[in-house]
Amino acid sequence: MTTRQKKRRRPRQQQGISTSQILIVVGVAVLAIGLLVILNSRPQSAAVSSLAYETGVTPEGEPYKGSPDAPLQLVEYSDFLCGHCGNFADTLNALGPDYIETGKLQVIYRNFAFLAPESVQAAQAAECALDQGADKFWQYHDLLFANRGTGMGAYSKPKLKAYAQQIGLDTTTFDACLDSGAKAGEVQADLDEGKSQGVEATPTWFLNGQIIRGALPESDLRQLFDSLLSQGS
Amino acid sequence: MRESASYPVPAIDWRRWLMGLLALAGVGVSGYLTWAHLANQSVACGQSHDCDIVQQSVYSEIGGIPVALLGLVAYVALLVLVLLKGRVPEELDVYVPLAVFGISLMGVLYSAYLTYLELYVIYAICRWCVSSAIIITAIFLLSLLDLRAGADPS
Repeated sequence: MTTRQKKRRRPRQQQGISTSQILIVVGVAVLAIGLLVILNSRPQSAAVSSLAYETGVTPEGEPYKGSPDAPLQLVEYSDFLCGHCGNFADTLNALGPDYIETGKLQVIYRNFAFLAPESVQAAQAAECALDQGADKFWQYHDLLFANRGTGMGAYSKPKLKAYAQQIGLDTTTFDACLDSGAKAGEVQADLDEGKSQGVEATPTWFLNGQIIRGALPESDLRQLFDSLLSQGS
Repeated sequence: MRESASYPVPAIDWRRWLMGLLALAGVGVSGYLTWAHLANQSVACGQSHDCDIVQQSVYSEIGGIPVALLGLVAYVALLVLVLLKGRVPEELDVYVPLAVFGISLMGVLYSAYLTYLELYVIYAICRWCVSSAIIITAIFLLSLLDLRAGADPS
């Protein structure tokens, strides 16, 4: 190959990418990311559902749903800021008609507010809701999880008070309870109790006394419940 | 003469190595976050829990797929492309910088969105995510240089 030929080849090698090709790639990239952003920013359902199961408070003062005589007892340590806890709560709600409403499963909620100051604030607010009834606690619980991560300070005091109003709590009592920090001791005691039982992260739950760490998908949970029920536990 | 003055042979090796190392670092960061997300493990974040808050927020998944996994796929693709450069037929090789540019541009755009979410929506900063944003931005800037070197002069 002569020097002249070599000089001719170089520009041709570099003529691979044209401005229009670059613009097409930019367009595709922007469209793809736009689509991902739309998919990612799904609106949160903040609907307040009515409860179709028995609720109450254990002798230790913890809220429960489902019959206290149920063969399966699930004690859940949870943090309202924790996404996996929210997913787990959704899963338990989905299993409600088959297990909770049929008297097979009792779910007891305990705070393990360890992620951030807003976790503690949300846990205290849930305890304040519990003062107005176990059914109100579970409605508030569902509403908190439905609103997790939906905006700056999802569990700021004004928002926590707004959620209380949304489910029809006595706001004067609720606001006074939250503002006074009256539930700080209870939330801290729950955290200490969880730690003493080996809880390190959330969700951690005890199914008939056996510790299980992390959320399980609905199918696995159903399988687990059914296997325990068939053993007659 | 004019041709060689206008299109100097670019010394692209350092860029390729740097992009390769950055992509490898990206694989490490996104791989760790993917593992933590899927295994429900707490993310190492110093004394703060901000990383867990971000990792477990509703924005950490798209249709059940962890965002960190999407990042991992992108970094692996970038790493493969950087390694492929110069090892595939010339007619394909010339498009490698364009592919790197496209993927890293998507990474930069999505990282910008995630950083916005961290600052103004989730209200917590995940330092691993910030590291990834810096890495992908650096790869994107390097890809611009590559693209410029390989662009059609016409």
